[in-house]
Amino acid sequence: MASSCSQALRHHVCKSSRILQEIVIPKKKTWSKEAVLQALASTVNRDPTASDYRFQDDPYLTPKTSSEFKLFSLSQESGRNAAKYFISTYPKYFQKDYAQPHIPCLMPETLEAQIEEVSEAALIERIQMRKVKAAVDLYDQLQQAGTPVSLDVTNQLLDLICFYGDCDPAQENVPEQRNEETEDVQDEPQTKKGRASKASDKLKAAWKENNNAERIFALLSEPNTHSYSALIRGMVKYGAYSKAFSTYTDLLNNQLKADVSTFNALITAAPEVKEKYNEKWELIVDLLKQMAEQKVKPNLLTLNAVLKALRRCGTVGKSQAFPVISEMRALSIDPSLASYNHLLSIFYKPGAPFQGQTDILQEVMNEVSGKSFTPQDPDDAQFFITAVRICLDTKDIEQAYRVHELLGVGENWRLLGNDFQQNIYHARFFSLLCMMENIDVVLKWYRDLVPSVYYPSSNVMRDLLQVLDTDNRLDLIPQIWKDLKQLGHGNRQTLVEELLTLMAREKQNQEVQETFAECALDIKKMYDTGDRGKVMMSWTAGSLSDLVSVLLAAQRRQDAWEILKLFKTHNRVPSEELLDKFLTCIKESGDVNQALELVQISAGFCLPGTPKLIQRVQQEFLLSEQQKSMLSDLEIQTFNSD
Amino acid sequence: MVFSADAITAPCAAGGSNALFCKNMATSLVRKTKLLSMVSSQLNSAACFRNIHCTAACLKNRAARIRVAKGDKPVTYEQAYHPHHIGHRKGWLSQHTSNLQGEDGAAERVVEDVFIRRFMYGTFHGCLADEVVIKRRGNLLLICAVMIQKLLPSKFYFLIGYTEELLSHFYKCPVKIEMQTVEEKVVYKYL
Repeated sequence: MASSCSQALRHHVCKSSRILQEIVIPKKKTWSKEAVLQALASTVNRDPTASDYRFQDDPYLTPKTSSEFKLFSLSQESGRNAAKYFISTYPKYFQKDYAQPHIPCLMPETLEAQIEEVSEAALIERIQMRKVKAAVDLYDQLQQAGTPVSLDVTNQLLDLICFYGDCDPAQENVPEQRNEETEDVQDEPQTKKGRASKASDKLKAAWKENNNAERIFALLSEPNTHSYSALIRGMVKYGAYSKAFSTYTDLLNNQLKADVSTFNALITAAPEVKEKYNEKWELIVDLLKQMAEQKVKPNLLTLNAVLKALRRCGTVGKSQAFPVISEMRALSIDPSLASYNHLLSIFYKPGAPFQGQTDILQEVMNEVSGKSFTPQDPDDAQFFITAVRICLDTKDIEQAYRVHELLGVGENWRLLGNDFQQNIYHARFFSLLCMMENIDVVLKWYRDLVPSVYYPSSNVMRDLLQVLDTDNRLDLIPQIWKDLKQLGHGNRQTLVEELLTLMAREKQNQEVQETFAECALDIKKMYDTGDRGKVMMSWTAGSLSDLVSVLLAAQRRQDAWEILKLFKTHNRVPSEELLDKFLTCIKESGDVNQALELVQISAGFCLPGTPKLIQRVQQEFLLSEQQKSMLSDLEIQTFNSD
Repeated sequence: MVFSADAITAPCAAGGSNALFCKNMATSLVRKTKLLSMVSSQLNSAACFRNIHCTAACLKNRAARIRVAKGDKPVTYEQAYHPHHIGHRKGWLSQHTSNLQGEDGAAERVVEDVFIRRFMYGTFHGCLADEVVIKRRGNLLLICAVMIQKLLPSKFYFLIGYTEELLSHFYKCPVKIEMQTVEEKVVYKYL
């Protein structure tokens, strides 16, 4: 048997050696320096019990509300800025270089320009340090001294001025005065209704008449494509749209060709200079044709500019959007998330009713699912917010899940935007969940997202309460109340009143009723303590009655009695049903004195139901002579007052 | 000044006529050294101590030990155990690889540690509940501190951001702080 085995083995080896004639040595793989870290990171999911990575892992130092989140991250940033101030003020203590290889970002920054003499090198240095005014002054000095400045450097200077709008970067918050030029624009203010509020328009500086850019441009003897490009893009960025077009005509008159970024800027400006949708579209088509004539290849930003302009073109936009995308695809320009964002905005206008366009979102999601995107356009960050808004408006939970899944693919989490945008995204997603899904799914997402990623506002918490109500899980209310207190919504009157109403509405079983009573007493504490400038809530008749009902249902007569006294102190009138209920409860315990006091309270409020109460007491309770006489006095009193 | 009597008598041993002269010289020399030793012994007696110290005073018996006193001084775990308990009942406050065979830079690490401890003590003044633990992982400098909840969390974060940024620029390596807070200093016993 051994020999037959070895024979079989030899046979097998011969066969395999014949097959493996050629040994192909694979190419050596090179891994990036962070490959190991990335591989390790891919094995770990997000921890839903931990807070953001910026914060320390300690209960005292974890933010519990969204305002705390903002406060802590901002204070950490301001600490860093304080350190940077010291480092830049005393750089000589930070010069010693221990690091091998050299780490440039840990060396002190030189904030002041080093080269002092009036020369081109000094101008280049100031341009690199983004000192707009200093660079312009130096350029003027150079001109006066008669030193020729090369065209490249002048172009760089023009770039700098046009990018920052002729003011230094640190002073961006100072609103510039509007001049007549921008008001001359043919576009009526009405078309700006859909855009962001006017406050942001005021913050951005306006393109001033005869500012430094135009002046320096005029001084140039032979402006080239780059100079024109810088000027046009600056004009478009700061709102001088018609001027941009006239500069473009100048460029054509000088027999120069424009480059792709000039065309992108002009396409962005096109909807501003024309009124009617057709005219806007024709202008854009005209520009694209000129681009083809001048043999300028469009890029991704061209596609995005066209789509963004089509948002302002109404119905024309809807018909032309898809052809544009397919043409660009033919030129091997793949749409980025920004293009899809513009596409969705063209078809789903906020606030407008939908007429059967629900499948566009689905098509877009089919296109983008499973792909990892890199940031290529500033508007990429708007995609997720727009997509989830559309899902919320069309109540499409499937697509919302797909959008959320896309967020988990590769690097896409970077495209969610800053903290504010993340908050909007999560708020919309969670509201949609509350609207569409049952309580178990909602609670699963709730535990996943809150509070590690998202701090819900009081509106969203009200949506959550509605879901609890719909699915008849009111027993979870005490837990939600604890979360509400932690999130800082414990003193919002409408929310708290709604909680009380939900608790008081139906009678639950015994244990749940106990927890409700505890919760209700806790809520009462929130009304009492107005410490440290917190917003004070005021009792209403409804909330007090609800509180009393909850306590009565849990057989806590003593606590309910205390609350009943609060009616008087806060000038609120109890309802008859409440007093009736109270009387029934008192009857169970058989405390006659309390019953009499109740009747007296009712008489004190001059309630119309007092005679009925008196009758009930007379019938149901065993009264002594004194008590009977007191009751009959009260009866006469109420009879007289009627 | 120390004469070796043997060295001087040895060459004189050759000539016999010189023997008496040599013997006289030898006896006088021996008398001189005896005188010298008497003087120096007197000098070293309890009356006068004026020696030169060439090494630093280590005081190994007194370092990092809190002596037992009346019983009202609260002492943390770290302070209660003496240095010979390191490795047995205590851990190390500073963790780096410079003390391994073939590694250098131990002295520089010590100097850095001293600076960092003083920096933390001063920046978070009155907030430190216990000694700062410094860990080095590759390039990263990790400062682990336990703080008392004396300041508001926003103030803590301001100081954390400031410390991380300043020390990163100073030591040209990423510096991270891991902080834990306690309500008050954790007392192990009273000495």
